[in-house]
Amino acid sequence: MTKLDDLMKLPGAMAAFEFRGSGELLEQRIAYPDRIDESILDLLAHMCAANMSIATMQARGWEKVTTMKGFYPVQEFTLIGFDWSVVVSGLHREQYKQAGKFSLPPFMGVVMANDKADYEAAFTILEQPESGQ
Amino acid sequence: MSMIRRLLALDGVNVVCHFRDDGYLIEGYGLMSRNDMDRLARFARDYRRMIQGNADQLAMFTNMRGWTPPRGWVVRGATQSVCGVANLVCVVDSSGAPLNEILLELREVSHW
Repeated sequence: MTKLDDLMKLPGAMAAFEFRGSGELLEQRIAYPDRIDESILDLLAHMCAANMSIATMQARGWEKVTTMKGFYPVQEFTLIGFDWSVVVSGLHREQYKQAGKFSLPPFMGVVMANDKADYEAAFTILEQPESGQ
Repeated sequence: MSMIRRLLALDGVNVVCHFRDDGYLIEGYGLMSRNDMDRLARFARDYRRMIQGNADQLAMFTNMRGWTPPRGWVVRGATQSVCGVANLVCVVDSSGAPLNEILLELREVSHW
């Protein structure tokens, strides 16, 4: 059982996916192929990768200008659309970076229907240590 | 009492701001200076516009309905997270804060 399978058990889960830092889709699970397919997930992954980078720039800038701390590194990004939400996490990548590792794990994310979305549960699964760590 | 001030009563909510469409801070409460609240309001306005643009493009390129107009966004940092819904933005603790409840409350308050 992988983390993608765990994410698919979330209420309202439509898809779970892994992607590179550059946005390319690596692996996915899809609950409703008539609503969301691999090509949509690929574009969504690129959008999320871009947003993680922009949010990281903003967190660094915010901490510099305000002296407030705790925003960087960005761990997760969530877009709440009209009917669907996407939650993506780069927490494990950050942990690898901080451990000095060069080969980083992929980003991971889940698409959920808003009427059932449980964001806290999504974060809990995404932040669980990887098996073998 | 201000409608948005009640958001501060939720666990883990440290700052809440209400801003105009041009990013001008209308009111803000919590553990932050007025200058930083002004910055937060402008940041949240810009971020909201960026998210709207991204969602519009995603919908246009994929023909998938249901992404636009976006309802909100969350950027979760190491210990602090920022949540935006409509013209409201909150800074909340990343751990322990009831994010589902906070997002519901933001959505409700944004309609007032």
